[in-house]
Order: sequence, then structure tokens, then C-alpha cells
Amino acid sequence: MAYINVLSRRDFLSHTLRTGAALGLASLTQVPPFARRALAESGIGLNGKKLLFIFLRGANDALNSLIPIRDSSYSLVNRPNLFITSDAGTNYATTGPCDFPTGLSSTFSYADGIRSGNGFAALHPSLKFLAPVYNAGDLALIHRVGYPRQSRSHFDSQAYWETGEPNSSGREGIFYRTLVESGLPTSNPLSGVSIQSGLPTLLKGSQAALTNLSDPTRYDLLGLPHAAATGDRKAMNAILAAQPAKFGDKRSRTLLELQYQNMVSTLNLFATIDFTEAGNTFQDNGITDGAGSSAYSLFPTTNAKNGGGTLSKYVVDAGAYSFFEQLKGAALILNNTDAVIAGTEMTGFDTHNNQGGANGAGTFNSQHANLLTRVGWAIYALRKYFKTYNNKVDWNNLVVVTLTEFGRTSIQNTSNGTDHAEGGMMLVAGGGVKGYQKNGRPSGIYACHPTDSIPWVTGPAGSMFGVAGRYLQRAVDYRSVLGEIIRDHLGASTDQLGRIIPGYTTPGEHLQFGGVSSGDSTSILGELDVV
Amino acid sequence: MNARRFTFPLFPLAAAIWLGPWVAAADNFTDPPAPSLGVSTLSNGQRRVTFGPYPAGNIFRMLRKSSLGDPWLEDLTGAFSNLTWTAPAVASNVFHQLEVTPLSSNALLTTTVLSKLAYGPTPELLDRLATVGADVYIHEQLNPETIVERAATAAPAINSLMATFGSPTTVIPSGNNATGPGTADIHDLRAWLVLNAVNADRQLHEILTQFFENHFVTEFGKSANYFIGRQYGQSAPDRLAADFEWREVNRWRQVLLSTNGTFLDMLRISAESPAMIIYLDTYTSRANGANIPNENYSRELMELFTMGVDNGYDQGDITNMAPCWTGWTFEIVATNNAGNPFATQSTTQIAPGSLNPTAVTNLLGAWALNYRVNAHATYSKRIFAGKMVPARFGLPYTTKLYGGNITPGLYQLDIPARTGTNGFADGYDVVNHLASLPFTQEFISVKLCRLLVHDGFQIGYDFTDPALSEEGRLVKACMAAWENGNPKGQIRAILATIFNSSLFRGPGGNAHKVKTPLEFCVSAIRALRQSTNGTGAFGSFTAATDGYGVVYSSGARQVQGNNSPLMRQGGMSLFNRDAPDGYAEAGDNWVNAGALAERIRFVQTLLMAGSDTNKNDANTALLNNTTDPVSLVRKRLPLVADQKDAAKVADLFLGLLYPGEGRASLGVYRTIALDFLNTADDGIASSPFTNLTPSNAAGAAYDTRLRGLASMLLTLQRFQEQ
Repeated sequence: MAYINVLSRRDFLSHTLRTGAALGLASLTQVPPFARRALAESGIGLNGKKLLFIFLRGANDALNSLIPIRDSSYSLVNRPNLFITSDAGTNYATTGPCDFPTGLSSTFSYADGIRSGNGFAALHPSLKFLAPVYNAGDLALIHRVGYPRQSRSHFDSQAYWETGEPNSSGREGIFYRTLVESGLPTSNPLSGVSIQSGLPTLLKGSQAALTNLSDPTRYDLLGLPHAAATGDRKAMNAILAAQPAKFGDKRSRTLLELQYQNMVSTLNLFATIDFTEAGNTFQDNGITDGAGSSAYSLFPTTNAKNGGGTLSKYVVDAGAYSFFEQLKGAALILNNTDAVIAGTEMTGFDTHNNQGGANGAGTFNSQHANLLTRVGWAIYALRKYFKTYNNKVDWNNLVVVTLTEFGRTSIQNTSNGTDHAEGGMMLVAGGGVKGYQKNGRPSGIYACHPTDSIPWVTGPAGSMFGVAGRYLQRAVDYRSVLGEIIRDHLGASTDQLGRIIPGYTTPGEHLQFGGVSSGDSTSILGELDVV
Repeated sequence: MNARRFTFPLFPLAAAIWLGPWVAAADNFTDPPAPSLGVSTLSNGQRRVTFGPYPAGNIFRMLRKSSLGDPWLEDLTGAFSNLTWTAPAVASNVFHQLEVTPLSSNALLTTTVLSKLAYGPTPELLDRLATVGADVYIHEQLNPETIVERAATAAPAINSLMATFGSPTTVIPSGNNATGPGTADIHDLRAWLVLNAVNADRQLHEILTQFFENHFVTEFGKSANYFIGRQYGQSAPDRLAADFEWREVNRWRQVLLSTNGTFLDMLRISAESPAMIIYLDTYTSRANGANIPNENYSRELMELFTMGVDNGYDQGDITNMAPCWTGWTFEIVATNNAGNPFATQSTTQIAPGSLNPTAVTNLLGAWALNYRVNAHATYSKRIFAGKMVPARFGLPYTTKLYGGNITPGLYQLDIPARTGTNGFADGYDVVNHLASLPFTQEFISVKLCRLLVHDGFQIGYDFTDPALSEEGRLVKACMAAWENGNPKGQIRAILATIFNSSLFRGPGGNAHKVKTPLEFCVSAIRALRQSTNGTGAFGSFTAATDGYGVVYSSGARQVQGNNSPLMRQGGMSLFNRDAPDGYAEAGDNWVNAGALAERIRFVQTLLMAGSDTNKNDANTALLNNTTDPVSLVRKRLPLVADQKDAAKVADLFLGLLYPGEGRASLGVYRTIALDFLNTADDGIASSPFTNLTPSNAAGAAYDTRLRGLASMLLTLQRFQEQ
């Protein structure tokens, strides 16, 4: 079997102790040629930059997240049960910072669209905690994101996002390829990590094992026997001794061998990180809306750690705790290990039925609004965590990106929900992100304005119905956003990016500089220069 | 002497001489290549041959001859050690040949059959199939109604659980302390499923139950939330939701027990199930007047339940199908109306004088499929307009007449305008049509092949290609079995086609898949499970579970069973999946470092003695998974001298846990097992196994040693496979 054999922890340590990591790596016989080349040309993993991803599974309704509030087709007629109202006292044409409505009796009592400051769009009120991040210039909100010949199947479209290959049957992850190009998986058993129920396609591939943990607090073996002096040593020794055993080739054996090796190599790497609930002591470094005199916990994993600890002061709904447990795990691992890419997922965005509009004051009863509170608080909390508790990476060297498979129908269905459609929305956050007032930008909102070079056309014949008369037409390809992050933030070379996102520089795709996509004759903007 | 003249001269080939029944060497899996060979001379002049592994390699022999005209004779001068053969120097040139004898075809087929038609081998089934042959077992399992089912003898809890399940006319009680029919919650249903998986003689029936339950996936929690939203209190929402799950699974099991049950029968049950109508939102979808119907069910019906993604349909077909399903909902009706989809809501009140007498929570009746006339789109519909069966399907599909079409190969579906209760027929027209399409035949065949052979089957084969792969040929054969039956689409005919295929029966069908968490947990228990007195009665087994130990964790309204082994090993919440693609068959969705660690932890708790404080791994339900490996050894090795013989004990467990690998392939595992048996608990000190006194008393050194051994072997890579 030909594969990169991730070194066992013992091998790795002995190599690094003896010769230093780079020499140790060069002395390995199993490093394939491309990985040696990667060491020479790549900044990935060496420039101190890291990436945290959050996949919003089920397809987030972009039109009710970053709301085209001045488009007459965003209306009570088209969305009778989902419509987010305008505030009568607010002029949404005004440009400047994003409003951050505070000081009301409960954390989320403001129920209207929040003026974003780009003169056209508004944020869903449940996204209010994006405002401080936005106003610091650390957030880009990108609308109308998709790809040619958009699939409206959850599973195909998620796969296309995760592989970076639209309409391909390939199942090798875009972040997996990023890490393989970096050469890191050969020297560091922990280069890419997800904290969720299973390894996402983003991190899957056949040549090296990346790591998934569903619960870092349980990442340890019990042992049988379990001796007072040596713990699980006897059981562990046997598992280690069995690793080199060779059997005839079968379809799943490379996968099993690599992931077993990844397990035995990473089991002990987390001992110094406190993932427990008692260790969840991370707090805001200041007082935000509704907090009274004490700062909020950044990772709400219990009622007591949720905003002010009473329902009216919650920053997320109580169903969000397991997500924030996983997000905390991903953040702690990025901050305290040499992992370069980590992330998790949030589910529940497939709002066909009873999607809901804004939450009422002090309540958490709208399906979609609850999910958005999680997204908003997650971005807010990650910024504060990596500014306040930074260890191996700080906010200026981190990019947080959200992904979702598509947007949802412009017009609601009779179930008071929305069905599968096209253009979606991405969030890109980080200290180095070119958001509001950074690099002279008047706004951190991309592709959501009638004066864009590919304008947002309003009205019944406009962008919201630009595909098949039903769906929001894309103006940005998700690969342009991810490509820019992988190259300009993580440090991939242009050649590497061409391998990480196959066809990235193919002329007809226009991913880099924009143009009319040959896939479906749709105009796209190309890279947006957000990082 | 010049040493160079005595270097090993020649290894012409590895004679993987294996005249199995399969043909067509499609790939390295169906026809494993000869092992690679390397020859070296050691510093002491000895010669060493190093060779690669061979699937199911059972015996290695080294053959030699001095000149090409001589016959091959066994060369006994050297010694095998794992994948090397070392021999002293010889004085003249000789030819050598490595001979690999794999497991017999029946032994290999036995392990395939017990891993695919069953939730893994048990010691007793290995014994039985070695005697009667695997084909007898296949025949029995294809005709489950002919098997005397003894599961309830082994696990009487199956019957007591059944007594808590309802029938379609059961009024589900809401009081927390209620007993009897309709009081089961989802944990009970899950435990029942696990008990059957562990104990059933009709193993294939259990495999197929879970397969179709997972194929026609629904989400218990979403149904329960519906009833919570309707103000049901106490235990009622969970019971009502669990009852929906039970009713559909019970109906599917009846179809699977009938000799000519079809895929269409299964599909209809799914469409009619309130669990599905809630899951994909059909109950709120309306298309009367200008209303836009919900597309959720129509999309997944084609993408996931029948045709396969983008396989013969497009967005327009989804949009055009959606109005057909409007009006399909469910309602609480008088129990004698439970089978009448046009019945009106029950009017009998439980408490006539109550504050809110007409609330559904105050109505006496049963929740049942119901058709709501005023939500339905009465206009005519055309689906698959102008669409022709693609040429890749070949004959007869490209020239057949589908539905009412008169153009050969056209599979357009026209549904006339229908008013009143006639509109209910739209849905049946849709499922009848979908079940007849070659796309559906292909996709369902592919999914069954993935379940029973390996993960590498895809939709989209060119069935007319003379060079069609072996996988494509098997799918084509399954489709022919579907097409040629009367009625069409008989599940047993498709299964028989797979079981008779060379792909299934050869090495290409053996151990290429990774177990799901359910398969892993159940197979671990079964692998160590033998009745000590041969009665098969409850309490006589060397490994057992109450079912809950695999699926349950205590705590307030644990819908998912958060700390259960199935959840910890990758989030497998039975009857309760949020994404409509069902739990994955392919191993890469289950295999990752965290999930493997959880599998190992489960095995370790399973093998721990009841008194071990670690056995309750933050979930007391784990205490109900019990094992007694010492009694298993005593049953299989009656002589005390053998029980103290490390080699015999090691070989016993290697044979029970890895029956498909072959002795020659298990060399390293065997060495590790012997080392383990002869090492003290600290993993350091020598502690000869033969010095231990056989005892299954908790804490006895012999008991601990065997628990550790069985646990260790169950945590190695090869036990993850099937």
C-alpha cells in the first residue's frame, strides 16, 4: 500500500529530539516527493497563520441573515411569516458603522433589521453581536455565494463545498489537500482537527489521516487490565505492537491503518489542555450589552454561562450548548497545539417548515433566529477569546470562515419555511480581515449592494429571482473566497493553490479576477481581497 | 567458496493457486495478486526471503527444485516467521517457490455470510456452518419464515418489550406510570432492536430491518416535538413518536417475512407513515389556490428513497411533484377509523368537562394517516415531462412502456386533475411510478450491494458497455431480478442474486467494509456469546446485553441517548436521524481517531468484570453488558491442561474473532496474544499463563488475563471489518 505513514508519537519525538523536525522529516523514507517539495515552497503551517471553520449544515437562509432590506422584493408578500421589518426610525440608506442596538431591557429585544451601514443591507436582529466585530473592521459578510450549475441536494452540495470541486464525484477535502500540500501530516500527527460526530469531508483524504474528536474530554483509553502503577500500559502496548502487522489488501484497510495510527499518535497530545466544564472560565474582556457589571462567558455551555444567566439576558438559546462545547474544543486546540486548521459544524439550517422570523423580546422561539444568535455569538466570542487568551495563535493570525451548501428560496412555501435554492452567504472574520474602514474600505459587506460591479438588482425581476425566476443568483464563487484565504492567509503558493482547488486558474472559471463563468454564463466577481 | 554463488537464485512466482468459483479478475480485491518477494543474505550466510501479505493466507510452504525439469518438493530447511522465511546457506543453485494456501472457499464464504447476512459470527454459528456449509445458511436466511425464531428464549425481555408496543388502534396513554400497549418510549424500541440483533436466528431479517429503517429514515425527535407543540404532557409526546417508529418498522418486517414482498411495498409504508409525513414536512404543505407547496419530501423521495441523486430527475420534476403530496397528513381519529385516511378528527373527549374540551390532547383516539382535501392541488400534474430512459440502461429499459405512455422509453408521469378525496391517489400514482423506473432499480440495487458486498458501488453505470465492471454487472443482474419477477421488485430475488454472485462469494466480497457502531457493538457481543449448557436459554450465555447497554444513557429526556455507546462512537441515534440520507454505510464516515477511541472504550467496558469500577463509564447502562470469557474457554477447551496452554487459548480467540484471516496472516496478532497472556497486568513483568489457575471469579488472575486478552483482540483493526 502506498500512503504517507503518519509517524507514531514515539517516532516523531525521537526524530525531533535527535535532529530537529526538518532534518528528521528529510530522513524519513516514506515522505513522498510532493511533501518534500511542499516543505520547500510553502508557508502553510510555518507563517503562524491558522484557520477555524464552521459549517452551517442544512443551508442557511442568506436572505434572512444579511437582508437586502431596501430591495422591494424582500417583502411581506414574498415572506409573510419570515419577513424582518424595518425600523421606522432608521434610515437604512445611511452609510457608516453597523448599528449595535443596546441598552434595551433584554439582550435581543430589538426586533427589526439592524442597519449594516452599507446603505442597502441589514443584519437579522439575532446577528447583533456581529456588529462589534464588524465595526472593528474584522468581519467580511459576503452575499450571493455559490458555484456553477448549483446542486440543490444537501449532500452533493455540501460535498462540493468541502472538496472545492463543484459537480465532481471526488471526495477529498479542500482543507485536507491544503494540509497535505503543507507537508505537515508527515511530521505532525495533529495538523487538522474537527470536533464533531465524525470527520467532515473537508478533512478527508486517502493519503493521510486528519483528526476528529467528538468529545475531547473522553479522548483516552480505559485500559483492561488497568494497573495501579502503569495504568493502561498493557492494553496500549498491545495496540501499538499490532500496528505494524501486515494483512492482505482490502478496501478499508488503508483508512483503518491511518486512523489507528492517528489515534495512537494523538492520544497523549491533549493532556495539558483543560477541556472540562470546570475549565471553561473564558470570559469577555469587557462589558457588552445586557451584561450588567460582570463580563459574559465566551463559550455558553450552561445556563449560568449563557449571557447574564437569566433567559432575558441569554446570548444564545439553551439548545446551543453542545455546539459551543465543540467550538470551544476547536478553539482550544488551535490555540494550544500546532494544529493549523480546526473547526466544527452547526446543524439545523434546513428550515423547510416553520422557519420563523425575528425572536420576540427575551424569547428564543424562532428556529432560524436561534441559529443566527449562535452564529453571531460564536464570531463575537472567538474574537474575544483569541485576543484575550491567545497562546499559540492570536486574533490577528486567525481567520474564521463559515460555509453552507446553498441559500434558500426567495419566496416562502406554505409550511412557513423556505426550500433549497442557490446564492448563500459566507462570513470571514479575523484581525487581518479587510472589513469596515480597513484598507480604506467603506464597508465590510461584499456583493450586497446595487452599486456593486455586478449589481444587486432589486425588484421582482431582480437578483432574488435571477435563477429560474425563483432563486438568488450568485455573484461570488465560494472557491474564490476559500482560495484567497488558503493562499494569502495560510500561505499556499499559487502552484499549491492550483492543486488544492483544481482548476483555480482555469480561464473560463474566472475565480481569481472575475468575469463570465463558462460553466453557466453567470457573471462573478472573482477574489474579493478580504484577507 | 564464493558467497555470491550461493545467493538465493530465483523466486519465479508466488503460486497463489486458488481455483475458486469466481471468474473475471476485475481488480486486486477479487483476484489478489501474488505477494511481492524479496531475497537477502544475512551476515551469517543465511538466506532470508521476505514477502508481502496475502488475503486469508492460511498456510505458507516453501518449495524447491534443483533444475527446471524436477518436480517441486517442500524445502524444510528453513523456518517461517510471520512474513519471512529464513534458511541456512546451501552449496548449489536451486529454484524456490513460495506457496500460499488460502482458507478454503467454504471457510471464507462462511465468514462473509456471517458478517453480511448476520451481525457477525457467534462461536456456535461458526461450528454449524463449518458442518453444513454456508449455502444452507444463506437459503435459510432468505426464507426467514421457515426458521424457528428462538430470540425470546435467549432474551425474554423481547416479549416484555413487545407488550409495551401499540397497534394502529391503540390509544397511547399519557400518564408517566401507565403500563401496557402504547407505553414504550424510543429507548425501549432501540433496546428491542439490539436484543433482536444479538439474539435472532433470523439474522438477515434483522439486518434488513435496520437497512430499510435507515433507508426510509425518519427522526423520532421531530415527531416528539410535534406533539410537544400540540401541548401533550408527561410521557405522551415520546410515546406517540416512538409508536410511529414502531408501526412503520413493524409493517416493514411483515413485508420482509412474506415470500414475495417488494420494494414498492416498503416504499408505500414509508410514504404512509406519519413519522415521514412529519419528518419531511408534508403535513404543512398546501397547494390549494396560489400556495407554493413544500418541496422537501418530493426532493428526498427521488434523491434518497428511490432514484438516487440527479438520476433521471431535475428541479422541475421536484417542483411538479410537490403538489401531488399536498393533503397527506395525519390526524387523531376514532380508533375504529384508524385505517380510514378520510376520517374526520375524533370527537370523543377524554374529559368532557375540561377547560379546553376540543384540544387534541383531550380527544380519545389514535393518530393515523389522514388526507386533507382542502390542502390539495386539484389541478393536473406532469412530472418527468418528455424524459426518456437513457441509453446506458440498455434493453429492456429503453424500449419499455412506462405508466400510461405510448412512446417506448418515455417515463413521463401524467396525473389528471382530481377533486375531493380522489386527490389522495396522486401520491400512490407517484410511488407506483417511481418504483417501476430503472433509476430506482439501479439505486436500490446499488445500496443493497453496498450493504452486502462493499462500499464501492455507484449509480451511473453504462450497462451496455461490454467492459462493464464486475460491480456494474452485479447491479445489472439485481435489476434483472427486479424486472423479471412477478410481482416486480421482490426483495428476496435481489438478495439471492447478490448471494449467488461471484463477487459476493469470493475475496472481493470479504471484509472490505467497516462496521457501523451498531454492527460493531452487536458483533463484539456475539463473537463471545455461547450458551454454556447448549440450551440457548436466558442466563446461559458467555456474553449478553439487555439491549439498553448499547443504546441508552440515563438522564432527563435523553432523546438521542447522548452517552450511549452508539452516540459516542459517532452520533448514531437509532430511529432519530436529523439528516435524511440515513446513517452511512461507508466506513470513512465512522472511522476517525475519536470514534475509534470510543469503540475501544466500549470493548473495554464490555469485557470488564461487573465489579470493575471503570465498567460504568459515565453511563450505568453499560453495567448491563456482561461477558464471561473464562466460561467460553471452558466450553471450547474442556481440558484444564488446555485452558492453561497459552497457545491453545490464543488460537481459540484468534479463530473466533478473525475467522476470515487465515493462520498465516495472523502471525503478528498471535505473537501479541501470547505475549499478552504471559505478561502481568502492569504490562512489564513476566507472568507465565500456565501458572494461573483457571477461574472466572472476579479479580482472579486467570479471569483478568482472559478479559484483557479478549478485550485487546477486539480492539485491533481487523475486528472493525466485515
